[in-house]
Formats: sequence, structure tokens, C-alpha cells
Amino acid sequence: MFSNFVSYIIQGTAITVAVTLVALPFGLVIGLLMALLHTYGGKAINRLAAAYSLLMRGVPPIVLLFILYFILSGEINLSPFWAGSLSLGIVSSAYQMEILRGALLAVGGGQMTAARAVGMSRLQAIRYIVLPQALRIAIPPWSNEASIVLKDSSLVYALGVPEILRRAQQLSATTQQPFLAFGTAALIYFVLVFATNRGLDYLSERTKLPTHP
Amino acid sequence: MKRILVVVSLLVVASLVLTACGGAPKAANHLEAIKQAGVIKVGTSADYPPFESVDANGNKVGFDIELMTEIAKRLGVKLEWVDMPFDSLIAAVQEGKIDASISAFNYSEERDQTIDFSDAYYTSEDAFTVADGFAGTIAKPEDVAAYKVGVQTGTTQDTWLTDLVNAGTLPEANLFRYDRADQAMADLKNGRIEVVMSDKVPAEALAKQLGGLKIAYSGVLSSGPMNIVIPNGDVELQKAINEIIKQLQDEGFIDQLAVKYFAE
Repeated sequence: MFSNFVSYIIQGTAITVAVTLVALPFGLVIGLLMALLHTYGGKAINRLAAAYSLLMRGVPPIVLLFILYFILSGEINLSPFWAGSLSLGIVSSAYQMEILRGALLAVGGGQMTAARAVGMSRLQAIRYIVLPQALRIAIPPWSNEASIVLKDSSLVYALGVPEILRRAQQLSATTQQPFLAFGTAALIYFVLVFATNRGLDYLSERTKLPTHP
Repeated sequence: MKRILVVVSLLVVASLVLTACGGAPKAANHLEAIKQAGVIKVGTSADYPPFESVDANGNKVGFDIELMTEIAKRLGVKLEWVDMPFDSLIAAVQEGKIDASISAFNYSEERDQTIDFSDAYYTSEDAFTVADGFAGTIAKPEDVAAYKVGVQTGTTQDTWLTDLVNAGTLPEANLFRYDRADQAMADLKNGRIEVVMSDKVPAEALAKQLGGLKIAYSGVLSSGPMNIVIPNGDVELQKAINEIIKQLQDEGFIDQLAVKYFAE
């Protein structure tokens, strides 16, 4: 019976991973766009991007999750999975934006000036000179964000997405063995986060810049 | 780099497309829409045995589960369970995320303002559960105000106890709210609280399962009839479900279920 229960929790792993795989790239795309706008946009765009970051980082993910799912979804019929994953992505985008902004600034203004001096347009300079360096620099802090999103994916249980935590709760209620249920959940999360971080460490090592040892 | 960008943008596009496909054309009324779709989406919080829980294989089991399965069968539609925490259920019905919800809901005026109820399918009592070594006495329900009391958030028992707090008899600091009933019972067993107020049937089940707990008092205080939650003003669905509940009561189906799950 217990092995059945444990396998029931493990089945939730696929959902947890899927939520993360939607939220993280979604947040990366928005975050990167916002970081570029914040760094290279005009005054008004700059302020707008800064306000976005401030607002999204100032709201607990679970609150945003409920707003998107229960209030906004009158217009678009989002399933719990998509509502949960996309809201997590939006929350994460603000943090990823700050990580990427830091990385863009770390490349330094001199490179942009030099690129312009050899006749590149601003867009070309961003695309071929600044971004390739900035993305590499961003990997180590970004791996922090990846593990945070992975762990925050447990929040979607509140919308009824049967991921690891929700399954552990159900089993705790049925078996009255909270330690077994939540211990299993903890172990799975740990393995997932550990694997993610090691993978990103490897990527970071492989793509390291000679100028940023 | 390029490949990563391609993968990322594909994921985003896929997510947007899948999101956009969610909508469906509107039917004349909700009941028609359910019949057109051939599926009724019913919410429950499967962490409240014996009303609703999951078994070793992850299947939903319990009194409400079996009852709703029969109701869906008689409506002539498939049943799709949507599991979510208890206090998200009413909002989900309100927002049309689910068609109805069965989760040992008791009628209350507060709830009735935002959603509607079916007729009662079962009548429940409240119980005060205590540890075997409990030294106090609960002769009448209000006596509970002298102890540290645990309750599940969003339940009618929560409302009943909150009234005691508002009346000034139960100190706010002595009311402990839990996400789920079994957490409250576990804390009771660990001695962190002295009394748990809940529905009687699950209280008996949990007391038996955990051991060392007993029911000190029971009676109809906050609970009473249990009803299925349906969207506000949805008279067609309400009528259809009420007719089926009536049939099931007349046929003795519900009594049999009660014997099976509550050993009455």
C-alpha cells in the first residue's frame, strides 16, 4: 500500500516539472525583454519597465496566482495548469529581469561604444556583442531563480493542480502519516533542485567567458 | 544560443495557443452546456475521509464521490473530478471554473449569497473531539470557549467559532485554524490544542484512525444539512440535481451509502 502511495506522489513530479518548464522560459522571455527595455529604452519605457519590476516583485506569487485564476479568467478561460504556470512565469519574469539587467550592465558601456564606433547599429551591438556576454554572466544567479521557481511551483496546488505537494496532502489525510507523505515530497523536490543546479553549474562552466573567470 | 531561443519561443507560442483553445460556444443555459459537452466538472477537496479522499491508487473514494458519480450517471453525462483545497472551491464555482462542487458543504447564509445550494442529501452533526486524557468538561457547546480550539479554515464550524470570538467569549489567540481537518486532529493528538470542532462523521473516522482521541460533545450547531454547491441563480441545474437527489433518497441509495461509509 505504501509503495502505491509513494508512486502516487512521484506521478506528481511530472506535473511539477511541467509547471516549471512553462514558467521559467515564459519568465525568461518577458524578463529579457523587460531588461533590454529598462537598459536601452528611453526615459518613459525605462520607467515603465522599472514599475513592472517593482509591482511584480512586490506581490506574493500566491496572490498573483489567485488574481489571474479567479478574477481575470472570466475573460480568457485558463485551465488551472496554465493559469498557475503562466502566473508563476510572470512573477519570475520580474526577478529574471533584474538578474539579466545586472548582467547587461556588467558587460559595460564601453563595449557598446566600441561596437557603435565600428559601424554596428544599436540592435546589432546588443545582439552580437552585449547579449552573448550578458547571458553567460547571468547563468549563476539565474540558477538560483530556477530553483526558486521549481520550489514555488508547489503553489499551484491551491488552484487544484495535482502536483507533488497536493498529492502529499491527500495522502497525509488518507493515511495519517504526514511524515511519510511530506518527507517523500521533500526528497523529490530536493533531487529536482539538486539536478537543476548541477546542470546549470555545468552549463556555466562550459560557457564561461575568459574575461569573467 | 540560437537553438535555445528557438526552443524558448516555441514553448511560449505553444502555451499561448493552448491557452486560446480553452473557450467554448455558449449554450442556452448552464445545464444545456453541460449536456452538450457531455461532461460535468465537479470540484472536491479530496482530503476529508470518509466523505472524499484518495485511495492507495490515487482514485477518489468516499460518500460524496460515490453519490456524485451516481448523480452524473443519471444526468447522462461523464463526471470529471477537479481536486482543489476546500477554501478554493466556492470561488471556483463562482468563476465558472467548475460546474458544481460536492465536498461535505453545509448550508450557510453567507455562502448562499454568492452561490446556490441543492437540496440536502445528508444531515450532519458537529462534534468536539478531545484527547482521551482531557481533564475539562464540555457540558454545553459554549463551554468550548474555555479551551484552545482547532478548526478547518472556511468551514461552517470556523464561522460558528468565529462568532464566539466576536462575542468575546473565545479569545482570538485560542482559535487555531488549519488548512485541513486531519492537521487539526494531529495537533490535538500532539497536545498543541485541546479541542477540535468538525463534522461528526469525519471526526469519528479520524479519532479511530489516530487513536487516543474521543468525542466529548456532538450536536447540530453549525452544520446540519449537506448540499451540493452550484453556481448562483442556476435554476436548471439546481432542479435537475434536486430531482435526482429525491430519487436517490426514495430508492434508499443514500441510506445505503451512509451505512457503507459511516456504519450507521
